[in-house]
Amino acid sequence: MYQRSAAIVGAAHSELGEVPGSTGLGLMADAAVAAVADAGLKPSDIDGVVVRGPDDEYAFQQQLGERLGLNAAFSTSLDNGGASQTLAVILASLAIEAGLATTVLCGYGRNSWTRTRQAGSRRARMNQSTHNRAREWRDSFGYFGEPATHALGAQRHMAMYGTTKEHLGHVAISVREHATRNPHAQMQTPLTMEEYLAGRPVTDPFGVYDCSLRTDAAGAVVVTSLDRARDLPHTPVVVRGFGSHNNLQGWTVDDHMVTTAAKQSGERAYRIADVTPADIDTAQLYDCFTYMVLAQIEDYGFCEKGDGGEFIAGGALALDGAIPTNTSGGQLSEGHVEGMLQVVEGVRQLRHEYPEERQVPDARLALVSGHGGNTVCHTTLILERG
Amino acid sequence: MSAPQPTTEPMRPRRVPPQPTPESQPFWDGCARHELVVQRCSSCERFSFPPTNRCQHCWSDDVVWTPVSGRGEVFTFTVYRRAYAAELADQLPYVVGIVELDEGPRLITNIVGCEPSRVRVGMPVDVVFDDVADGVALHAFRPREE
Ligand SMILES: [Zn+2]
Repeated sequence: MYQRSAAIVGAAHSELGEVPGSTGLGLMADAAVAAVADAGLKPSDIDGVVVRGPDDEYAFQQQLGERLGLNAAFSTSLDNGGASQTLAVILASLAIEAGLATTVLCGYGRNSWTRTRQAGSRRARMNQSTHNRAREWRDSFGYFGEPATHALGAQRHMAMYGTTKEHLGHVAISVREHATRNPHAQMQTPLTMEEYLAGRPVTDPFGVYDCSLRTDAAGAVVVTSLDRARDLPHTPVVVRGFGSHNNLQGWTVDDHMVTTAAKQSGERAYRIADVTPADIDTAQLYDCFTYMVLAQIEDYGFCEKGDGGEFIAGGALALDGAIPTNTSGGQLSEGHVEGMLQVVEGVRQLRHEYPEERQVPDARLALVSGHGGNTVCHTTLILERG
Repeated sequence: MSAPQPTTEPMRPRRVPPQPTPESQPFWDGCARHELVVQRCSSCERFSFPPTNRCQHCWSDDVVWTPVSGRGEVFTFTVYRRAYAAELADQLPYVVGIVELDEGPRLITNIVGCEPSRVRVGMPVDVVFDDVADGVALHAFRPREE
């Protein structure tokens, strides 16, 4: 069993939002440099690199090592989509505890907004799926884009449990409320239910406010042993436990789109960390779409399956709510960096870095999730103020 | 099997021919002759989809393309309100659905032949085929008329 011997000692993100001319690698390097500086470490302290870049980049860890002059005892790029960034912290913790590395840099960088603006790219991307299999089984039926995949889950959840469009709206409104207090967030204007419901329709039940943002940014964290962490500038954020689960048979199989892999991943994480949902002070959940927050709130046991809509409508996600969630604004309102900013926000909340208006009071335990890889891979971190 | 639907039928997206692989070619060949076929395991008699060289359930390599009923129900669906390609703009709104066949497998498909606002989870549906190019047809499903 994992001995809880790893801690996050540095966390940072790059410039965030619309960064014309940026590259995923350049932003990743910026975030990495900032995270190592935040940790009070120097480049030669880093002997592990676990990262992920844009899906069409091969061996991103090698590109980053070349750029930053790093060799590594332990290194890989990950291929679990949005679940990769929390998985990076899991792998780093295991490698450190096993003695394979001492100090591991984890991160993810993307330039999604810039790519969208590059001539020709938008049309090319919209008209054809990246993978041969999706081209064969999706494109022929006019099934394009990620919103539809999650919308299919939302519609099923609505049919089974009476979840409504307004319930999804309360997710968007709640995280936007958090973003109004985040000066880095891409969206800082409060969102009303009227505005939410009038949002440009995308694919039922989603409109534009159900979908996460296009963002240029990178995030990075530095993981090292708890022993070493005690000599560094910040309060250590202990990696207390973690879990993962992967419904590799697919999103459309069994009930995966309604009870997601977060359920089993969370159960493993609670067991390894020896905590319960009631112990968690704040959740930083992978919110590619509003529905994924609702499903995870249920799957992680913050309320019963099917009750998520009413739970969230009652203010559960607010700073003074039952489970303050995505307190940076998340991917729906701060910026979409494939879950990496959720890790950074979890660390910052546990360090008590924020002014009172944005700080989860006395936050001691944070749950951070990652979800992706055709929506079937899920990872969970349970972080603790050291 | 059902007769081909007229291409003027509304609420169906512009549909482009798939790019089959050697493994999936028999599925599309079946569609071309307006027959829905799915691989069935000779050992455990269960169905596997998408196309494969091994039974998903018992790993036998004895999987045989078998005609299925073409009957099923809407497992879930979404109505496209936004065009992801310029050519689809005049096709909106259209319905992408997951249909669970009576035999078990779930297919990504289009729900056609009714207003998108009438589609429901659990709605019984039957397969129809759409000839989209010479020798190429795609499946879709429409509400069952009892
Ligand atoms: Zn079998």
